[in-house]
Formats: sequence, structure tokens, C-alpha cells
Amino acid sequence: MKDDMDSESKLSQELLALVAREGMVEPENLVMEAKLADLDIISADFIMILMAIEEEYGAYIPVDNELADLETVGDLLAVATKKIIEHQQEKPA
Amino acid sequence: MNRVVVTGVGAVSSAGIGADLIWQACLGGISGVKEFDFQNIVAQKVKNVAPIAPDVLAAVANPREERFQDLIAQMARMAAREAVAQAGLGPDDFGSKCGVIIGSGFGGARTLDVNYLKFAHDNSARYDPMAIPKIMNNASTSWVAMEFGATGPAICISTACASGAQSIGLAMQLLRAGTIERCLTGGAEATLVDGTYRAWETMRVMTPDLCRPFSKDRNGMVLGEGAGVLVLETLESAQARGAEILAEMIGYGTTCDAGDLLRPAPEGAAGAMSQALADAGIAPDEIGYVNAHGTGTVANDINEIEALRRVFGAELDDISVSSTKPIHGHTLGAAGALEMIVTIAALRAQMAPPTINFNEIDPLVNIDPVSGAARPLNTRACLSNSLAFGGINASLIVAKADF
Repeated sequence: MKDDMDSESKLSQELLALVAREGMVEPENLVMEAKLADLDIISADFIMILMAIEEEYGAYIPVDNELADLETVGDLLAVATKKIIEHQQEKPA
Repeated sequence: MNRVVVTGVGAVSSAGIGADLIWQACLGGISGVKEFDFQNIVAQKVKNVAPIAPDVLAAVANPREERFQDLIAQMARMAAREAVAQAGLGPDDFGSKCGVIIGSGFGGARTLDVNYLKFAHDNSARYDPMAIPKIMNNASTSWVAMEFGATGPAICISTACASGAQSIGLAMQLLRAGTIERCLTGGAEATLVDGTYRAWETMRVMTPDLCRPFSKDRNGMVLGEGAGVLVLETLESAQARGAEILAEMIGYGTTCDAGDLLRPAPEGAAGAMSQALADAGIAPDEIGYVNAHGTGTVANDINEIEALRRVFGAELDDISVSSTKPIHGHTLGAAGALEMIVTIAALRAQMAPPTINFNEIDPLVNIDPVSGAARPLNTRACLSNSLAFGGINASLIVAKADF
């Protein structure tokens, strides 16, 4: 159980770095409560973030309702983490 | 101002060669979507597409034609031949009074893909010397004009998914103004090739499972390919020939969001529909069926239904709305034409085709479309929407022929 928590927290840190890089946002502004719109993360940035997730984790995330409802950085990380874990369970390494 | 009528239709799609085949597929909810492996895509994520039927590939397997034409022009010609035959046009009916307006978003994608791959692998290999005239977007229009000797205005509109609808709309305007007497018009697209497909995949607008327009669990569109061509004529010209009139084109509206390149805005789509209604001179409650753009992406469906609500108000609940894209796929530049052909068939049969794969009303979209099976209609007029990347919106209204 603790291992799972550790790996999720590690994933979360990796994803924060990924979102900062692909979304062209200063990492210090990327706090969980920050609104994506306030960070100027628009449709094209979103596609870049999802592309990077596919490249690094192999998970293809289509734009569905779960994604359309995202407001904050925390929301984005929660959905991305869930989809990556689902993908890893479907296709064990 | 001349009235404009439809005297012939032709279609090539995942259902096969023939306008009746795509209509029968839509009416019966029989999808052409299947799993398809693109050889040059490593780790292809999205498997389901609606490729053209095997009879189309067999019909175009002609080395002489392939030297000069990409599949897209071959399909446009097939669709045009069917439409011309139905309209009963003879050699004397073309010339300078006949225009050709066939739209496409991409042009000859296969030729582009094959040659770029060849060039990248071995740049001393022989590049196809006909690549440019095969890839150019207007190839379909020009080949159709050449086949029939149509020497009037030859135009190619390239506005992504609005190409087909805007082509038909422009043809209506030229016919009304009396610039031409008849026009072969519609759209064609053949983009199911590795490079272009991978580009779509990276945009993340395609569903990894099934396309479910308006459904709460929808997560993207499914790509198709094909061609749709209509013979439009002035009423006077059709009556002078004694042609059978299939329907009348009564309204056209088109707008640009002039906002985000990709994210649609309901003002733009509502504007196109309102313009089309005003152009037709009919009230919203005279529309009995809407063949929606209905891609099945989260953003399109919310936007399109919001736009429909603004135009139709509470009456929207009394109108049959469906998307036939899960059946024939999103055929991009051909979509407006193929879906107008389906809409004309729906009007003539007084049957609304179903939105297959629909599971559950989405409170964010708030529409209960025609789903499950086709539903009877009792209407004089139907509307078809095409809403494109680039913020371009086009709406067409077709009515029963009452002459």
C-alpha cells in the first residue's frame, strides 16, 4: 500500500514537471489550486500535454467529459494519474 | 431570383458505391466502422475508422487512371457519374452554363503520403512526376469538369469540414443569380493514410472506442472517407428538360466564429442556421429534421446543441435531430455533401435516421436525439449543419419538391 502511495506521488511530481514544460508555465506558478485558464493553458497547450503523456506513459487520453470539466491543475493531475494507472493495469509492463 | 432544385445525387462511402447504399446504411443503423491497421504507425492508438468499401477499391484499381488521379478524384468522378445519370443529363447539357464546385479539406492525401515516405527513405528514388496535379485540392473539380465538358466556373472550396456544405451553398448562389443553369457540386475526401491519420490521432479528437454523438459517455469522432456529388439546377432548366426533381434547396447560411481556431462558439453556428432560415423564408418550426454535424467530440456537441437551442428554442424538443457520423464516419470535406444526400433521402422517405451508439442523455448537451432506430417524420423541410475547424459554419435547408 505504501509503495502505491509513493509511486503515485512520484507520478504526480513527474506530471507537474510535464505540465509545466508542455504548457509553457513557470513551475512555481503550478500549484494544485491554480486554475488552468488563469495559467493561460488553452486548447493547443492541452493537446501538447496529452501528447507528452502518450509519449512518456503510453496512455492515449481522448478529450471526453472528464477532461472537459477540468478547472484546476489538481483536477488535471487527478484525471491524468487515473488514466495512466488504468493504462498500466491494462498493459502490464 | 431563380429557384434551385436537386435532380441527381451520387455517393461513394464506407457503404459502397451508390447514394442509395449510404442511405440504406443510415436508415438501418448499419455502420461501416471497423478496425484498421495503418502499417507505418507505430503503436496506433485509435483503431476504428470507416474506410471506403472494397468495391470502391476494386473500381479504382486502374493503372492508367492511377497515373493521373489520386483516389480522391477517382471517387469524385464516380459520384458525379451517378448523379449525372440520375439527372438524365446528356452531352448538350454541360458547356459554359454548367459549373463544377467540389470541395476538399486535404486534396490527394494518399499521393502526398506515399511520396513523402519514399523521399524520406531514399531521396534518390523516383518521385511521382504527377504528384502535384494529383495532390492539388482542385483536382476533383477539374477531373469532373473534364469528364463531362463542363466549361463554366470550376471552383474548389477548402474549408475543412465545411468544404462540402459551402460548395453546395455557393452553387445555390450562382444558380439563383443566373450565372449558371446547372452545377455538379459537393465534396470529396480520402485521408485514411498513415501520415494524415497519425496527425488526426495526435489531435486527440478521435474516440479509441465507438463514436457516440450527444451521449454522456462520448469521447470523440471516427474518421471516414468518400465523395458526394449533387446535380443542382435552376427550376426552369430542370422543368425545360422534363427532369425528375428530387428536392428543392431553399436555404443557405454561413458564418465564421473569428474566435478560436479549434474551439467552436455557439454564436457562429446559430448565426449560420438563422441565416439559412431567413434565406429560406421559413420559420424554425417548419424544420422537422436536423442532420447535425454531431461529431461526437465533447466540444462540438455541446456547442452545436447550444446553437440549436438559441435558434429553435423550446421547439427543438419537437424536432428530430440525429448524427449519422457513427455510420459513415466523419468524411471531413465530403461530409456536407454526403450528409445532404442522406438528408434529402430522409426528407423523401419521411424517415429520420438514428444516432447509433447513443447511450445516455448528457446534461451538458441536453438533447434526446433520434437513437436506436429510424423514426418517422412529417415535415416539408430539413436542415444539415457543417461546423469546421477554423471556426467556419455552414447550414443548408432542403425542402420537398412541390411543383
